[in-house]
Amino acid sequence: MKEAQTKHRPKRFGMAIDLDKCTGCGACMVACFSENNVPFREDESDKRRSITWMKVYKITNGEKFPHTEVCYIPRPCQHCAGQHEGHSPCVSVCPATATDYSRETGIVSQIYTRCFGCRYCMGACPYHARYFNWWDPIWPKGMERYLSPNVSPRMRGIVEKCSFCFHRYQLARNKAFNDGRREVEEKEYQTACTQACPAGAITFGDLNNPAHAVHQIVRPNLHEEHNAAGIPIVGKAQNPHAFRLLERLGTNTKIYYLSSREWVRKAGDNYQVQMESDPHAADASGH
Amino acid sequence: MSSNEDPKPKDVTEVAHASSPSPPGGGAYLLLFFIIGLALSMVVGWAVFPKALYSKKSQPFDFNHKMHLEQVDESCESCHLFRADGTFSGSPRLAQCVGCHEEVLGESEDEAIFVEQYVAQEREVPWLIYARQPDCVFFSHAAHVKGAKLDCAVCHGPTETTESLKPYEENRITGYSRDIWGHSISGLKHNTWDRMKMDDCAACHETAGIHDSSVQTGRDACFVCHK
Amino acid sequence: MKLSRRCFLSFVAGGAAGTALSPLPWKLTDDLSIWSQNWPWTPVPPDGEGTYTLSTCTLCPGGCGISVRKIDDRAIKIEGAKGHPLNDGGVCILGLSGLQLLYGPTRIQAPMKRVGDRGQGRWQTISWKQAIAEVAGKLKEIRDQGAPQSVACIAPKDVGTVAQLLSRLLSAYGSPNFLRMPSVEDAYEAAIYLTQGATGAAGVDVENADFILSFGSAILDGYGSPVRMFKANSKMKELHGTVVQVESRLSNTAAKADQWLAVKPGSEADLAMAMANVIISQVAFDQDFIANKVDGFEAFARMVQDKYAPETVAQKTGIDSETISKIALQFAAARKPLALCGKGKGQTPGSLKEALAIHALNALVGNINRSGGVQALAAYDYINWPDIETDSVAAAGLQKMRLDGAGSDSLPHVRYLTHRLANIADGVQALLVAETNPCHSLPDTQAVKAAFDKIPFVVSFSSFMDETAMNADLILPNHIYLERFEDVPVTAGVARPTVGLCRPIVNPLYNTQHLGDSIMQIAKALGGTIAGAFPWEDYETCLKMTLRDQWGTLAKKGVWMAPNATRTGFETAPGKFVMMNDDMGAIYMADDVALQGGDDAYPLVLIPYDSIRLASRYIGDTPFMVKTVSDTVIKGQHGFVDINPETAKRLGLADGQLAKLTTPVGEATVGVHFEYGIMPGVVAMPRGLGHTAYDAFLAGKGVNVNQLIGPVEDPASGLDAAWGIGAKLA
Repeated sequence: MKEAQTKHRPKRFGMAIDLDKCTGCGACMVACFSENNVPFREDESDKRRSITWMKVYKITNGEKFPHTEVCYIPRPCQHCAGQHEGHSPCVSVCPATATDYSRETGIVSQIYTRCFGCRYCMGACPYHARYFNWWDPIWPKGMERYLSPNVSPRMRGIVEKCSFCFHRYQLARNKAFNDGRREVEEKEYQTACTQACPAGAITFGDLNNPAHAVHQIVRPNLHEEHNAAGIPIVGKAQNPHAFRLLERLGTNTKIYYLSSREWVRKAGDNYQVQMESDPHAADASGH
Repeated sequence: MSSNEDPKPKDVTEVAHASSPSPPGGGAYLLLFFIIGLALSMVVGWAVFPKALYSKKSQPFDFNHKMHLEQVDESCESCHLFRADGTFSGSPRLAQCVGCHEEVLGESEDEAIFVEQYVAQEREVPWLIYARQPDCVFFSHAAHVKGAKLDCAVCHGPTETTESLKPYEENRITGYSRDIWGHSISGLKHNTWDRMKMDDCAACHETAGIHDSSVQTGRDACFVCHK
Repeated sequence: MKLSRRCFLSFVAGGAAGTALSPLPWKLTDDLSIWSQNWPWTPVPPDGEGTYTLSTCTLCPGGCGISVRKIDDRAIKIEGAKGHPLNDGGVCILGLSGLQLLYGPTRIQAPMKRVGDRGQGRWQTISWKQAIAEVAGKLKEIRDQGAPQSVACIAPKDVGTVAQLLSRLLSAYGSPNFLRMPSVEDAYEAAIYLTQGATGAAGVDVENADFILSFGSAILDGYGSPVRMFKANSKMKELHGTVVQVESRLSNTAAKADQWLAVKPGSEADLAMAMANVIISQVAFDQDFIANKVDGFEAFARMVQDKYAPETVAQKTGIDSETISKIALQFAAARKPLALCGKGKGQTPGSLKEALAIHALNALVGNINRSGGVQALAAYDYINWPDIETDSVAAAGLQKMRLDGAGSDSLPHVRYLTHRLANIADGVQALLVAETNPCHSLPDTQAVKAAFDKIPFVVSFSSFMDETAMNADLILPNHIYLERFEDVPVTAGVARPTVGLCRPIVNPLYNTQHLGDSIMQIAKALGGTIAGAFPWEDYETCLKMTLRDQWGTLAKKGVWMAPNATRTGFETAPGKFVMMNDDMGAIYMADDVALQGGDDAYPLVLIPYDSIRLASRYIGDTPFMVKTVSDTVIKGQHGFVDINPETAKRLGLADGQLAKLTTPVGEATVGVHFEYGIMPGVVAMPRGLGHTAYDAFLAGKGVNVNQLIGPVEDPASGLDAAWGIGAKLA
C-alpha cells in the first residue's frame, strides 16, 4: 500500500528554544561545528566571514546600569516553509536547484555539489543563516582525522547552512529499516545542538506529531491564517511565551523561541531591537 | 576560358586550376572527406576513447564468490552484513575472513597470497570497490534491502555466480570504476545492474505519486540520497 | 593529390558530426564535471564501523561523563554520556572540542630537551630512556647535596592516583613542597576545617536547592562542574526556584538570575555579614539547628550586629539596606536555601573571611550536611597504598618547613600558598609541573617568569606546547585524556563523592607516555627507598589494583558515585558547627583585602571575569571555542575590556577604540567595549586570553589578565584574595 510521501501526514521537524534557560554558553555552536565538519580559520573575529551554522546572538534591553538585561538567542537555519509550503526565500531563488524543500519532513536541504556559489540565497535569507566558503577549508595536518563521514566537507565557492542534521535522520531511518519498521522515533532523531545543550534549552521533534515534546511546548496552529498585512502565516504558536523571528515576514519558520520576558518576544519581530554590535561592521549582526 | 585560344605552355598549376571549378567527382571528394572524418571520429569516439579513458587495474588477488556461497548459510549477508545500528559493512574486513582463513584452507594461489601477505601481517586488503560512489552520495542499504526488499543482484549483478572477480577498470579522469557509468560507453543498459549513476537510482525514486516530496523537482527530496 | 581547404573543412565537419554522434563529448563532459567536484585537497572522510566509548572528560575539574563516537579507529565526535549523574547527556563547549586538542597542532610528539635559551622554542627530540635518565640524574644530584626539599612540584589537584603518585614521589624523595594550583577550594577547605573540624572538600547540593544566593559564582560560566550547574539552573527555572547573583558585572549568570545585586567589587563579605545581621535580628534563622548544632552563635551574632548593620554596609556595597533585608529574609524563608562561595569559576581562593561569612550564612539557615545544602565531603579514601619507607635523607627533608609557608604556626589553616612561587623560587632547585600551566594561570605573570628564571631545572609533563613548557628544560609529554586510563575523583562542589574513569579512546598518537609511568620510572631510576615506594610494574597495574572492587563498576558505567551523601557529624572540640571562637574572631577582625593601586593614580578598578567560552586553566581555548568568541571580546589580535559608557565618555574614550590599560603590575593595549551591564568605574577583562605559546589559532589574541593583576594576600590566611586592581585607561 504505497502512498505518495506527501499524502500521509507529513512530518514537520522543528525546534523550541527556551531563552529563559539558554545561558549563551555556545556549546550548541561547537556541537554543530564538530558534527558537520565546519571549517575554521586562524582569525575568526570577522563575523561576516566566520562560518557558524548555529550562531548565538546577544540582545539587550538597552537600559542603563543596573537595569540592563541581556538575552542570548541561538539561531540555526530557520527552515522556513515560506508561503504555500515550500517557498522558503532561499529555495525560491536558487538558480541551481542546490537548495530544496522537502514537503515530507519540512527540512530545507543544501546540496553542495550543485551549488556554484552565486550567493543569491544568502541575499534572500532574512536571518543571515547561510554562509559562504570564501576560501578552501584547511584542516591543520592531522586534524582531518576527526572529520565525520556522514557530512561532506565543502570546497570553496559553496554556500552552507544548518541542515537540521538530516544525516542523523537518514542514519535513524537506516536503523529503522534494519529493525523492520518505517517510522523513526522521537529520541532516535535529534540534532547535535539539541543533544549537546547543557542547559536543556533546545527541544527538537515533529511539530505535527502531538506525541512529540516540541508540539506540546509550542502548540502550533497548523491552519493557515492571515496577519494584518494579509500575509499567510502557518504554525503560529498557541503558547503565549513562544514567538518566531521576524514572523511578520511570513517565512513560517520552524524555530520557536520561548521567553517569559516581553521585551525579548518583541525584539524577535523587530519592534524593539538592541543588537550588540561591532561599531566597525557594516551590518549590525553583532555577536 | 582559354581552351579555344592558341595554347600557351600548359603548366601543372593551370591544369590543376583548369580542373578545380568543376572537376569530375569534386563534390564527391567533399563527401568522401566528410565520410572519412565521420568514420574516423566515430571509431575514435566509440572504440579508441573508451580504451583510452579506462585503465585496467588488478585486485590484490582473485576471489571466488560462488565457492564461498556454498560454504555459508545466509547468502550475501553472511559476509556483507548489516550492523546493529543499521549501517552496511560493505566489503568484509580482515576480522571477518580470519574466522576461517587463519591458515590456508585450500590450494589456490590467491588464498596463499591472502594468508601470507594480509592475514599474517594483519593488513587490511585494499580491495578496489566497483560500486564506490562520490562523497556527496548517501546510500542506505537497509532501505533498499530490508525496506524495498530488493535482491542484491538488482544493483550489483549476479555476483554470486561468478568464480572470479570481474576486471576493475578505472576512469582516468574521475577515478571511479567503469561499472558506475556502465561497461557500455553509450550509457545504454540491458540489465538493471549495468549502471549506477544518479539517473539509475532516479528510475525508482522519481516514480510519480510515490517519491514526490521535493518542492523543486517534484521527486524525492535531495537529502534522501545526498549529504 | 593535395588536400584542398574545402576537403579539409569537410573532413573536420565529418569529424565533428561523428564526434557528436559518439559518446565522447557527452561522457567527457560528465567526467570533467565529476573531476571538478573531487579536488584532491578536499578531504573525503573514510566511512567505517561506528562505535561509542564511555570515558570521563578531564579538561576542567568538572568530571563530566563523555561518550566518544569513533569511525573505525578515528574519534570523530564527543557527546555527553546519557544517564551520567553529573551531566546526563549534556556537555560543555570545551568538552565538545576535545578532538581538536587530540589531533591538533600544539601536541608535543616526543620527549624534548631544550636547545639554546629558555623561551627560544628550540628543542631537540630525545628518547624516553634519556629523558627519564636526565630527570633522575638531576634529582639524584640534588639529593646527594642533601637538599631534597628544594625540589618542588606544581599540580592542579592532590586527589587521584596520578596526583598521589607525584606527591608520593616527593615524599619518598624528601620534599614537602607539593604545590596545588590556587582555587576557592583553598579557602573553603580552611573554612570547613575551622567550623566543622573536617578535612575534605565542600559539596553543594544544587540539584535540591530552591533558593541559591551566589556571591559571584559563575554558575553559568564554569563554576564547579559546569554542566551540572547548568542543569541545576534549568531545573530551578522549571520549578520556579530563585537565583540571586551578587556580582558587579552583568555576567551570563547574573543575566539569567531572578535578581542581580550589582555589588561594589570586593565588598561581598560585608554583604554576607549584613545579611547574617538581618537574619539574626529578625530571628529568621533555623532555631533548631542553632540551638542544638552550633557553638559560638551568640558571639557571632554580637559581631554582626555591632559591625554589619545593613545601613552601615549599604554605602560600602552599593546595595541599599531595604534590598539587603529583603533578600536576606527571602533566603532564610526558602525551604532549601543555599549560599555559594567562590568568584567566577573559583580560580582564586578569595579571603578566608568571605568564605567563613558565606559558610555562616548557610549555617544560619541550617543547611549544613542536609539535602539542598552544603556538604562537607570526606576526603576520597579509595587509595590505600602501603606506607612509604623513608631513608634519612628523606626524613630530614620532610622535616623542613614548606617553602610557601602553608601550615606554619602563623598560617595553620591553609595547605597551599602556591601564588608565592615568585617569593620562594630562590629555594627551588628543581621544579616539576604536571597538567597545569602556572606561567599563564598564576597572577603576576612577569613575577612568575622571573621565578622560573631563577629555578635552574624545570621539567614539564605537558601534552601541549604551553607557556610553562616553553619555559622548561625538559618536556616529558603525557598522553592526553583520550589516550589514557586514569581515575577522576571530582572535587568541584559535587554533593556526593563521585569518581569517573577516564579511558583511552584511541591509541596514543605520538611518542608520549602516561605521567604515572614517567613518575614510576623516575622513582625506579632513583633507586633505594624511593624505588621501593612504587611496587607496581606500571601505571595501569597500579590503577587496577587501587580501584580493586570499583574497577568493575567503573569499567562498565564509567562512573561510580557514593551512595551516602554526607558526613553527618562535626569533628570540632565541642562536636558542633563552630560559628565563632577566638581563631575565627581574629579572622573576622582582620583587615579587608587591600586593593593594590587603590589611589588617585589609578582611578578605575580592573576586575577579571570568567567566560565558559574562554578556557583559563591548563587547557587553552580550542579553535572552535575561539570561533564562538564575540567580536566585542576579541577582534583580530586585540582583546577588549568592558566599560560602562558613562565612565568611558568621561575618559574621552569611544566604543571600539584602542587604549592603554595600566595597573601597578603591568600594562597592555586593549580595545574598549561599551557595556551598560557593568558598574561605572569598573573595567572588566576576561581570563584565558593573552597566550604567548600554543598555535596561531590562540597565541597573541587578547591580553592575559594575570599580566595586570598580582596576588594580594588575605591578612587572615595568606591566600591570594585579590579581586581586582586599581587601573587607568587612556
